[in-house]
Amino acid sequence: MTAPLLECHDVTVGYDTPILEHVDLVVEPGEIVALLGGSGCGKSTLLRTLTGLLPPLAGEVLLFGESLYAVPPDARDRLLRRTGCAFQQDALFGSLTVCDNVALPLRELTDVPGAVVREMVAMRLAQVGLPGTEKRMPANLSGGQRKRVALARATILDPLLVFCDEPSAGLDPIVAAGIDELLLQLRAAFGGTLVIVTHELASVRTIADRVVMFANGGIRATGTIDELMHSDDSEVFNFFHRVPESEHAIARHT
Amino acid sequence: MQSHERTVQLSGDLVVPGARALYGELRHAARRRDVKTLVLDFAEVGRVDSSAVAVIALVERQLARHGKRIELANLADRHRAAFSLVPAPAEPDTPPPEPGVLERLGDRVIALGTSARGLGRLLAETGRVGFAVATGRRRMPAGSLASHVVIMGVDAIFVVGLLAFLLGMTLAFQGAVQLRRFGAGVFVADMVGFSMVRELGPLVTAVILTGRTGAAIASELGTMKVGSEIDALAASGISPVRFLVLPRLAAITLVGPALTLMAIFIGMLGGMLVSSLVLQLPAVTYWSHVVERLELSDWMHGIGKSFVFAWIIGLSGCHLGLRANRDASSVGAATTRTVVVSIFFIIVVDAIFATIATFSAGRA
Repeated sequence: MTAPLLECHDVTVGYDTPILEHVDLVVEPGEIVALLGGSGCGKSTLLRTLTGLLPPLAGEVLLFGESLYAVPPDARDRLLRRTGCAFQQDALFGSLTVCDNVALPLRELTDVPGAVVREMVAMRLAQVGLPGTEKRMPANLSGGQRKRVALARATILDPLLVFCDEPSAGLDPIVAAGIDELLLQLRAAFGGTLVIVTHELASVRTIADRVVMFANGGIRATGTIDELMHSDDSEVFNFFHRVPESEHAIARHT
Repeated sequence: MQSHERTVQLSGDLVVPGARALYGELRHAARRRDVKTLVLDFAEVGRVDSSAVAVIALVERQLARHGKRIELANLADRHRAAFSLVPAPAEPDTPPPEPGVLERLGDRVIALGTSARGLGRLLAETGRVGFAVATGRRRMPAGSLASHVVIMGVDAIFVVGLLAFLLGMTLAFQGAVQLRRFGAGVFVADMVGFSMVRELGPLVTAVILTGRTGAAIASELGTMKVGSEIDALAASGISPVRFLVLPRLAAITLVGPALTLMAIFIGMLGGMLVSSLVLQLPAVTYWSHVVERLELSDWMHGIGKSFVFAWIIGLSGCHLGLRANRDASSVGAATTRTVVVSIFFIIVVDAIFATIATFSAGRA
């Protein structure tokens, strides 16, 4: 197998004070890794660090074998161009049409001819279930539609590595399942690798090869979803079986 | 039949960096008249990404218009997976026809009408809520008036003061040069006092308030709208007018005339400095001329105008900020329009005030 796409070595992330410490994470090509954990556990902060937005307080992040925060800014941009990122808030450009939003990475970073750009955008929009919406403005789309446009933009360059922050949160079950299906198809066709942050256990079960669960400021457990569902660790067990915190004490004794 | 087929040997990775070349190559191959079927041989192809899929789908559609077609040969499984993602061709949205001149004009008129109605509703709501607050049935958010007064007024004291001082000095210089030629240098005091009170004090304060406060109100409310904060207020049964508009309007109503009064006095001080330095006019003479010359009606004219200016700035900022769409550029547009609209109406109102005052006083 080739080298890992993404490596974290003893990384500490946070703003002023550490939120997650001693994170060691390796993502191999073709893998779909889900980052799980309760609200506020630092998943999204870690994702900001992985996508080049927030330097780690300690440790090293390697993207495609190069240290993301040690290389000069230009080199960092070149590394980041080979990844795609779909944010939790869709982060679409409100002054651009759907087509221009999705086409932006193609137009800015490649020399693909205009007719092909439009064809690629139309294809990707149809794949996310929004055919024929090119001329619409983001403000005229529903939240779920905007999310799918954001996913289309993140994957338009067929990046080797895609980061998704809650790709299916706030979508109805059918559309959410459609997004999961699309992510799997894209991987099969173009060999992409995915790192997703999510709360949706159903979605994790469908697509994730490996789950990394965070709690108490660090990695709590890692493994396949089935391994974690049958974990001996009560906190992990409770998370996957939706035991509310007030009942933790009871759950521990049964 | 054989002669109508043409085979293109593709090789290497068909990915984004080569998309332009691939598109050119396929179009070139398809242009030959005798070719009815273009066969693409994938035997030596490595990776295929969506750019290649899009190129081939596009060329295929272009060929179909001339009754030609594309065949794919020797596809590997991973290639097949890529091509399986090609969706059925979607019916393109037929874009609505470009509006004509008359239609665009009509749209502008309707938009203006909508905006005017919105302003009317804002005024009515402000009046209603303002009355409720004044009679003690409702409260403004605690501390909001004081904090707005500080941001709009106290923080602006230095810049307004400095500009008024410089303006008073400039006026006095101009006046001194002209009036001295007639031996009327002492009337510099009358001129500075009169223009500061009636015109320049209110005007310079209003211009600074527009740039500092009007723009800030519009961008703040616009950004709150983008972030659904206004919706959050309304949905919790909290009137955005009471919570956001009223404190700002109340604050600017206090701050505008207060800053104007300050600007007037500091401007007179600037005039005094120049008079004593250039014309050797004693301060006592300067001030006695100022006091003698100015009547109560001059003060009412200047300060009354400053109230109107404050409301123009506050209302345009609130109205245009609340009407911003939910995107970043429309917040910018709302801010720009607030500044332009405020200054426009300030000057219009100023002209109206001057005309009425001149005729009613019989000075014309």
